[in-house]
Amino acid sequence: MILQTTIMPEQASEMAWHVDNIIWFITAVTGVTGLGVYLAMLVFCIQYRRRTPNALGPAPTPRILGSHKLELAWTVLPLFLFLSFFAWGAWVYNMALHPPPDAQEIYVVGKQWMWKVQYPEGQRVILGQNSLAYGGDVGGEGYFSGVMVLPLGRPVKIVLTSEDVIHDFGIPAFRQKIDAVPGRVTYMWYLPTKLGTYDIFCDQYCGTNHSLMVGKVMVVEAGEYEKWLRGEWQTGPGKNATDGSMAHQGRQLFMKLNCIQCHDPQKARAPVLEEIYNTDRPVRGGGMVRATDQYLRDSVRKPRAKVREGWEPIMPAFGPDKVSEEELNKVIAYIKSLKKGQSMDRTDVAVPPVGAPTEPPPPAKTTGEGGPK
Amino acid sequence: MSTVIETPAPASHEHPEAHEHVSYLKDGYSIWSWLFTVDHKRIGILYLVFLIVFFAVGGTFAGLVRLNLISPHGSILDNDTYNKTFTAHGVVMLFLFLIPSIPAVMGNFFVPMMIGAKDMAFPKLNIASWYVWIIGAGCAIWALLAGGLDTGWTLYPPYSSRFTHTNVVPGVFGVFVMGFSSIMTGLNIIVTIHRMRCPGMTWGRLPLFCWAMYATSLIQLLATPVLAITLALLMVEAASNALGNPIGIFDPSLDGDPVLFQHMFWFYSHPAVYIMIIPGMGVVSEILTCFSRKNIFGYTAVAWSSVGIAIIGFLVWAHHMFVAGISYYAALLFSFLTMLVAVPSAIKVFNWTSTLYRGAISFQAPMIFALGFLVLFTIGGLTGLPLATLGSDIHLHDTYYVVAHFHFVMVGGMVLAFLGALHYWWPKMFGVMYSDFWSRIGSILVIVGYILTFMPQFWLGYHGMPRRYPNYPPEFQFLNIMSTAGYTVQLAGFLTILTYLTISLFNGKKAGPNPWAATGLEWMTPSPPITHNFDHTPRVVCGPYEYSLNLTQTGERADVR
Amino acid sequence: MSDSAGALRHHFEDIEQQRGAERLGMWMFLATEILFFGGVFLAYTVYRHWYAKDFADVSGRLNVLVAGINTLLLLTSSMTMMFAIRAAQLGDRRRLMNFLAISAVLGAGFMGFKVYEYNQDYHEGLMPWRANFGKVPIHDPDHPGSPERTLEEQWHEKGVSPQRCRLFMTFYFIMTGIHGLHLIIGIACILVLWGRAYLGWITPDRYVAVEVTSLYWHLVDAIWLFLMPLLYLAGPHHSLHL
Repeated sequence: MILQTTIMPEQASEMAWHVDNIIWFITAVTGVTGLGVYLAMLVFCIQYRRRTPNALGPAPTPRILGSHKLELAWTVLPLFLFLSFFAWGAWVYNMALHPPPDAQEIYVVGKQWMWKVQYPEGQRVILGQNSLAYGGDVGGEGYFSGVMVLPLGRPVKIVLTSEDVIHDFGIPAFRQKIDAVPGRVTYMWYLPTKLGTYDIFCDQYCGTNHSLMVGKVMVVEAGEYEKWLRGEWQTGPGKNATDGSMAHQGRQLFMKLNCIQCHDPQKARAPVLEEIYNTDRPVRGGGMVRATDQYLRDSVRKPRAKVREGWEPIMPAFGPDKVSEEELNKVIAYIKSLKKGQSMDRTDVAVPPVGAPTEPPPPAKTTGEGGPK
Repeated sequence: MSTVIETPAPASHEHPEAHEHVSYLKDGYSIWSWLFTVDHKRIGILYLVFLIVFFAVGGTFAGLVRLNLISPHGSILDNDTYNKTFTAHGVVMLFLFLIPSIPAVMGNFFVPMMIGAKDMAFPKLNIASWYVWIIGAGCAIWALLAGGLDTGWTLYPPYSSRFTHTNVVPGVFGVFVMGFSSIMTGLNIIVTIHRMRCPGMTWGRLPLFCWAMYATSLIQLLATPVLAITLALLMVEAASNALGNPIGIFDPSLDGDPVLFQHMFWFYSHPAVYIMIIPGMGVVSEILTCFSRKNIFGYTAVAWSSVGIAIIGFLVWAHHMFVAGISYYAALLFSFLTMLVAVPSAIKVFNWTSTLYRGAISFQAPMIFALGFLVLFTIGGLTGLPLATLGSDIHLHDTYYVVAHFHFVMVGGMVLAFLGALHYWWPKMFGVMYSDFWSRIGSILVIVGYILTFMPQFWLGYHGMPRRYPNYPPEFQFLNIMSTAGYTVQLAGFLTILTYLTISLFNGKKAGPNPWAATGLEWMTPSPPITHNFDHTPRVVCGPYEYSLNLTQTGERADVR
Repeated sequence: MSDSAGALRHHFEDIEQQRGAERLGMWMFLATEILFFGGVFLAYTVYRHWYAKDFADVSGRLNVLVAGINTLLLLTSSMTMMFAIRAAQLGDRRRLMNFLAISAVLGAGFMGFKVYEYNQDYHEGLMPWRANFGKVPIHDPDHPGSPERTLEEQWHEKGVSPQRCRLFMTFYFIMTGIHGLHLIIGIACILVLWGRAYLGWITPDRYVAVEVTSLYWHLVDAIWLFLMPLLYLAGPHHSLHL
């Protein structure tokens, strides 16, 4: 818990230490300078206060117009100090924006007014407290109380997007936040360094329940984390499901949505998707494109924008009504996991991983929250 | 050692009527003589009256916000109403108060007088700017009160165009219209300063208030049109959504880019904050010199720093977007440029402090406000540095740290400067003096209340409390209550000021032409001034702050009169 | 030098100061207009860069012949405005009125062609706020002679996004609409000048109004010179599209 009487909030990640260092450095330097100015003001106001009985009107003062030396000094010195802040800050920002290559990805989708967290292993969590919003329990799930669980000491990269308006996924104890922009993928990463439970806030105004779009992140030991991924303990009433890893579910969606009809190596109707993630490929009309998360999403949502060289622009677009943001994340996870020779054919039936139910999951309950007019 | 040379004006310019020696307040008593005036002084008063009203409206919204925040779950408002309230507070305070404030009142009233002119360059444009402002303000207030607007004053799409069900189009239209008033005022001031300076008034002898007004007007002129087109595009998108056939310009579901809106919006809105502070800096230069009886330390540096802030201020807008998903290289560039824009402000603070050195300082209300500005603006400016720095901004962005920072510069800076200007020029504008004792009490109450309101918010922000949150974790409650308590102290201060200023209009001691023994040309006229300001065009022989030599700009003795 | 028979406003010292102020005022105003249009040009250019293929396609369907005629009309009207200033300086009332009238007529001609163009867009289903956007069968410039197909079908075949074409047309109507509004205001100002010339109020001493109006008119013309290539020449035209 963050105690507001402490000077510093908890530092629970590696980046938090860096961010605090620079904040306090700037505060200290500017504080000293500011206090210096105040001291000068105080001394001048006392020492040079008007002593004549007539408090208005002329008084003998020296005609001081300025000093080039001082002007130069207090131009150059602050500039130098400010640029040192800039340099240090840029270094910290660089770290914050570039996750280590072995960071485990966790997908987060923001929507009014909750966060939907998806782990590659299949664990799902919903964060946000909306009990005040929707007129009581909706399908028994009116009070979302999910907790995002993270392992101590292992880097984690959040792959973030939004379904509707701009949100922001912020964790003060980690001193990190990044906007969740609809139509875009943004990233943030953390290396949790302290066990405990910390707040998650939405940090970009998004409507009525912006202040209720909050949750918790729990940092646990690696062993506990593995147990949680397998569904062996829950963080809230009936919230966390393990119905197979994201890649596995994505594979099922790939079949269900008939992607396999064309993206079948034996059919040669569409590009083969094995091992394409983060590779550069030529596009129609010239130029190359890197198959990033953003490109993979756009290729599903707006496939005719950047078509692979040598292929016709015939792929239909899959809007949010056909495949939701979380489903899209699963399909992308599947594509990212696809190794050479692993493409299935249409008759393939895959064996689900351990822990996944063998029955189809119950139909998803819609929660009817605010959306487009 | 009077070196005044009187330049008798050609006879064809003098109005033959007897009113040439009547004060501007008495030159016509009917409501029409006020509503159809072209006298820059009356126009300043027209602005002043409504500014006070709008400040009270914005302050009421602030009170509701603070009252609601004494409980972690919203004590008096539901979420939607709270969202509308903080939006209204922002829109009213920024567009109906801060942006016009000093330029439209003291700029209009005093720039012509300070340069020895009879009026602004375009008097009819001036009164037109007031009407445009009133119309825009009316539209905005109607939108805010009748149904409300809940997007935040920053209006980010797609929330503002597709998801909200509130009065986006009329509210935005009101702001759009008010922008034209801002452009008209800025244009008028630039042309006036360029073309209508009296003989001897070189650029190097211009009062720093005029330099500040000039720099502000440059921004008003060049930045506001970009806001206009941005709002126009947003209105098209919002209206098309409301009418059922959505067009997307910034809406990603329709191939638009919401970050493009942010770039265009902040391209205006960052320079806008300099519109909101540079005039205050100009006022502080006037007051500090007069009440320490000294020349400004570093006239050239202070003058050029205003222009420097205006110019560099156009280059830093994306520092509002460091976590919005812009590229790393863009972020680097804007952080670097923001460090540059901080330097001229620092220069000013050092120069002002040095002006006090070996002065003869007295502490009437204008000086208390100016010194308060110096203290609070310094905090505001310095706390901008962690926000300009990339690594720290990630944590502090969109928290109460930002709220505290901008209130320090806007309220601790500009509002104090506005009050200081009002107190400094009150005897000139109305010919009466207010109570010295109560004015000192009022100023101190406002300053103390202000500090109590906003200091805790730095803490809250650093601990992670986000902006625009009616519900917050309970451990933040104590500091929120303290902040609300500060509001009540401020309120007491403002009410005190309103009271004694109003009383002075009826009961105040008559003020002479130059009660502060100041040196500017505006003090060389009767209090209140005659309609045409000067009997004869003044001739300037020296710089604006020759307090040490006891010389006004026309070379006469700067005594109390 | 006379004080120009009462043209001097009371707050100016002399006529030169007044003229200087009026000219500077107009240049400052033009600066705001440049920033205003610049904003929307910038937004358009960003999208044009991202959606080059789609924008090129729609741009190629606009009526470039009308755009060319309109350009000539505006350029000519700017020339006649300059002649009007000269006529005012020389005190030639008849020529002044004639040139003002020609400029206004040329401007009105521009607006007339614009109306014709908008009407054409209306019938071709190119108005982005209407439900029939892209759904009206029109000729296919890629396959002249083949039966008419809706734009949506044509775009589908070429891999062009109808949504992005809609974005283009949104910008088209906003940019040409705001420009047209400015042009109408300019025509009104010219007509007012014509009236004042008729009443004999414009003399060699008092012609600054003609000058500043002309400056405004030139700006509207200059904006068109940027606007036209941006919108109409973003892609190849397969026909003159009469």
